Amino acid sequence: MPGVSWQHCIDRLQDELPSQQFNTWIRPLQAQANGHSLTLFAPNRFIKDFVSDKFAARINELMAELEPGQPVEVVLEIGQHNGAAQPAFSPPAAQAISSPPPTDMPPAVSGTAVGQYRRTQHLAASQPAPARPAAVANPRRQAEIDGSLQHQQNLVDSYTFDNFVEGKSNQLALAAARQVAENPGDSYNPLFLYGGVGLGKTHLMHAVGNALKAQKPDAKIVYLHSERFVADMVKALQLNAISDFKRYYRSVDALLIDDIQFFAKKDRSQEEFFHTFNALLEGGQQMILTCDRYPKEIDGLEERLKSRFGWGLTVAVEPPELETRVAILMKKATQARINLPPDAAFFIAQRIRSNVRELEGALKRVIASAHFTSKEIDIELIKESLKDLLALQDKQVSLDNIQRTVAEYYKIKVADLMSRRRSRSVARPRQVAMALAKELTNHSLPEIGDSFGGRDHTTVLHACRKIKELRETNSDIREDYKNLLRSLTT
Amino acid sequence: MPTRFRQLPLLVQLRDDATFDNFMASEATDPLLSVLQEQCAGAGESAVFIHGAQGAGKSHLLQACCHRSGEGAMYVPLAELAAYPPQEVLSGVEALDLVALDDVDAVLGQESWEVALFDLYNRARQRGCRLVIAADGAPRTLAVNLPDLRSRLSWGGVFHLPSPSDHEKQAILRFRAARRGLDLSAEVAGFIVTRAPRGLTQLLELLDRLDHASLEQKRGLSIPFVKKVLTW
Repeated sequence: MPGVSWQHCIDRLQDELPSQQFNTWIRPLQAQANGHSLTLFAPNRFIKDFVSDKFAARINELMAELEPGQPVEVVLEIGQHNGAAQPAFSPPAAQAISSPPPTDMPPAVSGTAVGQYRRTQHLAASQPAPARPAAVANPRRQAEIDGSLQHQQNLVDSYTFDNFVEGKSNQLALAAARQVAENPGDSYNPLFLYGGVGLGKTHLMHAVGNALKAQKPDAKIVYLHSERFVADMVKALQLNAISDFKRYYRSVDALLIDDIQFFAKKDRSQEEFFHTFNALLEGGQQMILTCDRYPKEIDGLEERLKSRFGWGLTVAVEPPELETRVAILMKKATQARINLPPDAAFFIAQRIRSNVRELEGALKRVIASAHFTSKEIDIELIKESLKDLLALQDKQVSLDNIQRTVAEYYKIKVADLMSRRRSRSVARPRQVAMALAKELTNHSLPEIGDSFGGRDHTTVLHACRKIKELRETNSDIREDYKNLLRSLTT
Repeated sequence: MPTRFRQLPLLVQLRDDATFDNFMASEATDPLLSVLQEQCAGAGESAVFIHGAQGAGKSHLLQACCHRSGEGAMYVPLAELAAYPPQEVLSGVEALDLVALDDVDAVLGQESWEVALFDLYNRARQRGCRLVIAADGAPRTLAVNLPDLRSRLSWGGVFHLPSPSDHEKQAILRFRAARRGLDLSAEVAGFIVTRAPRGLTQLLELLDRLDHASLEQKRGLSIPFVKKVLTW
């Protein structure tokens, strides 16, 4: 049995090879025995070529030794052992040619028999693949095209409206998304969500998709990342299947494309996307796009696309404010069935302010150590489990951070700190922020002045002196300064 | 002994690959180990990020994850593969159950690698492939140009793997020696750790050499023997 012998062969290789080499090249191989042949599937051409080059001879030797009298033909393929097509329209060109054949074809026909491996193929993945002749319209090609497209209807079930935490920073985007879920293809088409990383754009997008799916289970909702769109298109071009590609994308009920900033400078993809976009818009099919910035600010994107993106509704998703961060943590804790006391949630939310993903990561760590030590979550435990993260933050007090924290503390906007306004309610917090910047960062006075709406360094100097004096005479300011210092440094 | 017989002892050496069993756990590493083992069982986090200095044991843990996952896992030493086209190295690997990306810091800053890693994150998440990632610094301190990638790196659990102290290194050395059936006294372990290079990797390489020599010459590990073999 080649399958059993392969297990022995693996054992022997594990003995012979350094652990690292074994884990890198041999472990990812998946074996499928078929009569007297053994097909080893590698995840990609790169691994296949490397294995062919370095280990094929030894594998053949070992198999011959383990199966005396019955020569086993060992064949290397790209793909998975269940015979599924190549996982995706995934990037490198060359893969299409050696995808696993349908089961009715003998494996050796299209694979590289290990014994017959030629050195000229060494790392062939770095070279462009020979173009596939257009005329080869066989079932295998069709299977590959279909297989490549079908994997993309991936909606993440757990991203729903119910578990999206609403806050000031995202309420407009949430309202728009709900509207789209109720009336797809209507007025907000495309819905364009933009904002920094880890703020919930993808969550909202999936939530709309899931809601649409709930209303109409047979709807064809396709979610994909823009990189995937580009890679698919490249592969479609290589397979001479661009019309299948077009037909597929134009037949969807809703198309959700994430991170479209990756279309920048990819002209051919933009061209194709432009046509798809128009076709969908005309057909009244809903489109939702996300991006890390406002459409007009994407460099390397065609003007006509930028203007098309603005046809529907463009909404920003802002970083969550403190209360929302706390609410997110509490919600995540409930989902994980963990008791997170409010003061602990506040403690984490005050310190991890950049984005939700990081917040979630920090909470997961706290949960892991609570779980492991069988302790209740409290501030002590959080400090211990996030030690390195918090220590890191100490070093990372930036001007930006100080401004945000001070603005949040005094319930004013960061823009107010930069503005020309000189009313006490703004000027005092501004002076406090300047004094903190001088104390906590290594920036020079002119740099600090610059970061507060281009002020002179003497203004900063004056602020520092003023706050120093007030801290001695005014208990409110003393208290404020102390609180701010603590929240920025602990 | 004639040189041509030198390979003979190899056959009776005990396999001491990087697995969870031969990773010496401590209180500080327990939460990480439990998260990683959950990860290998296909539960828990979709991605776990480990950071720590060289020689802290990151590669060991990553390989242990592959070992535990069995067939359908892959260890990707990025420092060694950095010169290859990233899309080709990483293409299709999300079809595996677990992918362990070591030395991510070695490829950061290169746009093509950053985009490829980001793309892999997305594909892996969609296909339920688990990622274990290791680097020499926490995601926030790494020189990542692509903010999308940076935020994804800190998505799952982020754990710090502390470097072992000299005292712990001695214990690790003795622990690993015992796994190989070698008797290494505290005195000899102390002798080696004080004189050997600081990195655990190099230290374990020395153990390899000592293991060979001890089998070959049928001698226990004494200080004079260690001195002789390592020419100290």
